[in-house]
Amino acid sequence: MTIVRTEKLCKVYNPDTVPVHALNNVCIEVDEGEFTALRGPSGSGKTTLLNMIGGLDKPTEGKVFIDGHEISSMKDSKRIDFRLQNIGFVFQHYNLIPVFTAAENVAFIMMLQGRDKQEIRKRTDKLLDQVGLGDRKDARPAQLSGGQQQRVAVARALASEPRFILADEPTANLDTEAAMNLLDIMEKMNREQNITFVFSTHDQRVIDRARRVVTMVDGAIDQDEIQDPDKT
Amino acid sequence: MNTFLKLAWRNIWRNKRRTMITISAIVFAVLAAIVMQSMNRGSYEVMIDRMVSFSTGYLQVQDYRYDREASLDNAFHYDDALGETVLSADTRIERVVPRLETFMLAANDVSTRGSVVFGVDPEKEQAFNQIDNYLAEGRFVESNEYTAVMGKGLADRLQLDVGDTLALIGQGRFGMSASGLFEITGLLEHPIHDMNNSAVYLPLGTAQELLSAEEHITGLLISVQQARQTDAVAASLRSTLEDGELVVFTWPELMPELLELMEMDLAVPRLLTLVLYVVIGLGFFGTVLTMTMERLREFGVLLSVGMKRGSLSLVLFIETLIISIMAVASGILLSWVLLKLVDPIALSGEAAQAVIDMGFDPVIPMSFAPDQFFVQGLYVFVIALIVFLFPLVKILRLNILEAARS
Repeated sequence: MTIVRTEKLCKVYNPDTVPVHALNNVCIEVDEGEFTALRGPSGSGKTTLLNMIGGLDKPTEGKVFIDGHEISSMKDSKRIDFRLQNIGFVFQHYNLIPVFTAAENVAFIMMLQGRDKQEIRKRTDKLLDQVGLGDRKDARPAQLSGGQQQRVAVARALASEPRFILADEPTANLDTEAAMNLLDIMEKMNREQNITFVFSTHDQRVIDRARRVVTMVDGAIDQDEIQDPDKT
Repeated sequence: MNTFLKLAWRNIWRNKRRTMITISAIVFAVLAAIVMQSMNRGSYEVMIDRMVSFSTGYLQVQDYRYDREASLDNAFHYDDALGETVLSADTRIERVVPRLETFMLAANDVSTRGSVVFGVDPEKEQAFNQIDNYLAEGRFVESNEYTAVMGKGLADRLQLDVGDTLALIGQGRFGMSASGLFEITGLLEHPIHDMNNSAVYLPLGTAQELLSAEEHITGLLISVQQARQTDAVAASLRSTLEDGELVVFTWPELMPELLELMEMDLAVPRLLTLVLYVVIGLGFFGTVLTMTMERLREFGVLLSVGMKRGSLSLVLFIETLIISIMAVASGILLSWVLLKLVDPIALSGEAAQAVIDMGFDPVIPMSFAPDQFFVQGLYVFVIALIVFLFPLVKILRLNILEAARS
């Protein structure tokens, strides 16, 4: 089942001064359960494409459909709500709320969704256990390592039970061990719970573990290949 | 809401020193403003209370001509029935106090001084202003005696004492000559300094006889249960008396110059308070500005993951509000303790003499009127609302991607 579909997506920055064509007629579909990496050199449009899919930015032309809903034309407030219910984000710099504990960071998203307190507590504990941080749930981000913070970020992204998770360079700030650890967790969730992941990355370690690799060059898709799952 | 409150609370303590400096600045402003206002109001409250009790009453019924020409010729007929009519006009009226007032010469055997003669009902006067409490010597007059009580300053000038005879010479109603001799039964340390040097009290009946004004008075003073009821009672009393020749005045109408003086006197503290709050407001704004700008990236992330702009603004508003509430509560508490500790400030030396020369007591009483505390809280709350406009506009206009990248 297709979760994400883009139609001739174009994004031009500074159209009135020095136009920069970040995306050129990008058409891509992502099916449920994919573990997809977007790769390409800096400026190739990976992050721009992720932002469009995540509803963080509007295309200059073209459309983005999530589960059949066109989010590119939604109003700001509706798009924020749509993101809350449907999309999980993992950022390069973790971006946890510094004054909240690991558990509170995870619970916060569910609180925004208006879920029941009991349910929030149970799910928070479960998610933190899944990312191996059940014993650090009361730690604040500053008390956690980079790898641990990114694992909390993954748990936070999963908290809202999104249709898919977008991860922008999730391992860029992690050492090898932490990066592999994070990838193990994400891959396990993908396999066991059929959670869809889309990454933008330069990291060969991530690319090697992806089952689909989309290569972008100059704002367009240059290659779209399925990798052998055994390779991972 | 609980989570937003928790988030806001922790956010304001991210930089403890900055928050404490901001709160301290607001506390200082609130403290200074309240103390300044309390001193002014304390003095004014005492002044008004004394003027109302010993001079005008909260309300006063007069003949309609008396306001233009304060002469005995414009006195009006008074009996118990009129007293009862006025008393029953409004349930908030506490009591009515008749007075006959005129100017006369007070004399001993060799010299004379100008004086204000009050014919009073001793019992009602005592109930109204506890005048006995101000007796320096002797006792107050009793009904139908040929006795007088006078201000101690006037007595000293005339070298008279309790037991001596006071001569009063003047003009009665409709040009009748008026003079009489009265035994002095007491001397008053009159709470209104000017009156101390001029007031003479006679029993009402005696004064009416002296001044050929039998059954007449110049003013019927009215006390109400609470000062703030004055205007409402005046309105109901006016409707009761509208058909006659009697008119009703409130104390501000009878002492407009006193109010003007107070307003002028308040101009400087008000200006100082304004300057203080502008400075503090700018400091508060600086804090909120920094708290906003240094967290733009965080705001971008929160909006990215699905927090609504309204919710984010609410968190920022709660932060501003918490700082204001803590500062105002501390400021009010500190000022209340400080006022309790210093109340009343007794002046001494030249300062005291200067105040006495102006006709006031050499003490500065503090006011504890609740509204002066609440008003400062309200000012800070308004400042907080204005200050909050910056983060509000910033959040509403925030470009999520630019913020998340910042």
